Amino acid sequence: MAGLAVPVFPARGAQPIEVTFDGDNLHVSAPSLHFLTGKPLERLKDAATVVFLTQLTLFSENRDYAIRRVPERFVVSYDLWEEKFSVTQLGSTPRSTPHVLSAPAAEAWCLEGLAISALGVAPDRPFWLRFELRTADQKDLSGGAGEPGLNLRSLIELFSRKPGPDDPNWTREVGPLRLEDLRRATGRGARNG
Amino acid sequence: MDRMKHAWLGCLFFGGLLFAGTQDSDINVNTRYTVDTVTVAGKGWKTDLVSDQSQNQKMSAGLRKDLLALIGQKLNPSALDGLAVRLKKELAAREVSHRVLRGDSPEHVRVEFEVKPYRGEVGANFTKMVYNSQQGWSADGGVDVTVLQNSFRFGMASDGDSLDERFAGISARYENRHVGTDRVDLKFEFDSYHDQWNSNTLDALAAGGSKETSDAYRTRQNFQPAVTIALAKPLTLEVGANFERFGEQYPAAHTEASDAVIATLRYHQRLEGSDNQQDLDASYSLGAATRILDSDFVYASHSGEMRYQFTHGKHVVSDTFSAGAITGRAPLDDRFVMGNSVYLRGWNKYEIDPLGGNRMVHNTVDYHYRLFRIFYDTGAIWDEGQTAVPRHSLGVGLRESVFTLAVAFPVRSGRVEPVFMMGVIP
Repeated sequence: MAGLAVPVFPARGAQPIEVTFDGDNLHVSAPSLHFLTGKPLERLKDAATVVFLTQLTLFSENRDYAIRRVPERFVVSYDLWEEKFSVTQLGSTPRSTPHVLSAPAAEAWCLEGLAISALGVAPDRPFWLRFELRTADQKDLSGGAGEPGLNLRSLIELFSRKPGPDDPNWTREVGPLRLEDLRRATGRGARNG
Repeated sequence: MDRMKHAWLGCLFFGGLLFAGTQDSDINVNTRYTVDTVTVAGKGWKTDLVSDQSQNQKMSAGLRKDLLALIGQKLNPSALDGLAVRLKKELAAREVSHRVLRGDSPEHVRVEFEVKPYRGEVGANFTKMVYNSQQGWSADGGVDVTVLQNSFRFGMASDGDSLDERFAGISARYENRHVGTDRVDLKFEFDSYHDQWNSNTLDALAAGGSKETSDAYRTRQNFQPAVTIALAKPLTLEVGANFERFGEQYPAAHTEASDAVIATLRYHQRLEGSDNQQDLDASYSLGAATRILDSDFVYASHSGEMRYQFTHGKHVVSDTFSAGAITGRAPLDDRFVMGNSVYLRGWNKYEIDPLGGNRMVHNTVDYHYRLFRIFYDTGAIWDEGQTAVPRHSLGVGLRESVFTLAVAFPVRSGRVEPVFMMGVIP
């Protein structure tokens, strides 16, 4: 990685995340974070798709307000015959893995797709960055089986639901950081947050 | 933090609208594989939808057709969700999940639906609820408690429709649907009723009718153990005993017994075509009361019924033929009755058979299309040695599920006296 990586080790031995800056956007990576495991993996191996929801939030120095937030959705499926993963990042211009990937590669591909704009943040001004990731069944995000679509009620139910012991639900917060402390990264696709 | 949560929700909500535009079929990498087999499995049973006809009868022809249609097609995961919902509904299951596994040949997959039944269930239901403008309300309802294969029912009834008496009281039933095997079902039932009599029936008894049957009784208790054996699907045999005690008041308070062995042979066959469905049901019942069982009544009752139903889309037409004969002296509650909500609908049972009869023959033709229903009953009830008088009735009404609202007209010269009926009418 060409840019400056700031590894942050949160309390209680959780997996650290690294933050890099490409001049416009902040990126995260977490090589030791493995979310294609447990119950989601079981569902994937039954040929179901699993939706992962992520969000990057940029907070002010005192974390009293959010400067910007960027949610993303990734749909993962598992190829029964090749025993590898395929991922589609949804959005206005969906993108997919060019071919099926191993679990670590698929996880890394998802995180590489995350970026949040640092526009308006002074280089010397401290800020905090929060990374959140959770799962949702695709049917949870639709009106019901056979009824494609999303309704607010489903979404509220989804977020009011306590995650099960096997359901991935990660939140990592890093800071205070300053842009001037982050070396400019290259070779990463800039995304507007 | 609440504001943040709502903002988080808001972002995902609008983002989700984008998500909603992409179907699972587009993004599931397994949609390139072809389905080679589909199986449905429950506790102790499994069907591949092709070879096992008896298990296939658990589900409708339409659902089976849609499940079979998956075979040979590319995998469509969202279609599996819809089929699982339909299976859950049709099989009244607690949960239906599906798995997709590698098939026997490369690039092929097999689909397995797993049906999980309810472990325990409590439900209340009415087995009968009828209003007849001549006889008033009749209802039989209860609470069912099901734990695994065991089912308990506690019921209450007030029925002025089925017999020539109005009986009201309680019932309790225990049933084990798996006695070592799914083919054997064990059942015990106890009923305790108080009886009320119509003046026409009492007058007929006073005129000497009790020579043919019992006197009017005040109370009736019944204990009935029975075993049902699935001989060979679609044929089942029920054998058991029926121990009845009648508390009679006249000429002095005393008790009479009617103890009989009972046996019923039932046959059910369903034939399904691409556009239609045919059902054939037939049954024969024998009740034999004998002194060996310490019965005060000695008789043998034979009755049979045959029903054919043809369904084409929303058109349903059926014909039901029934006949019965009793030899010997049977109590009032074991005699045949017509002019109720099942036989010769529209006629008044107290007019045509205030004591019932020991011979009967009856036929019903029923047609319904969507909500609309029309039926034609013809039959005769009489006692041995008497002349049978054929009677006819016509009915028209509305039907939704098991609920019917109908007006039945007895066909006779002179006057027209329609009878209004509503409720759960066969």
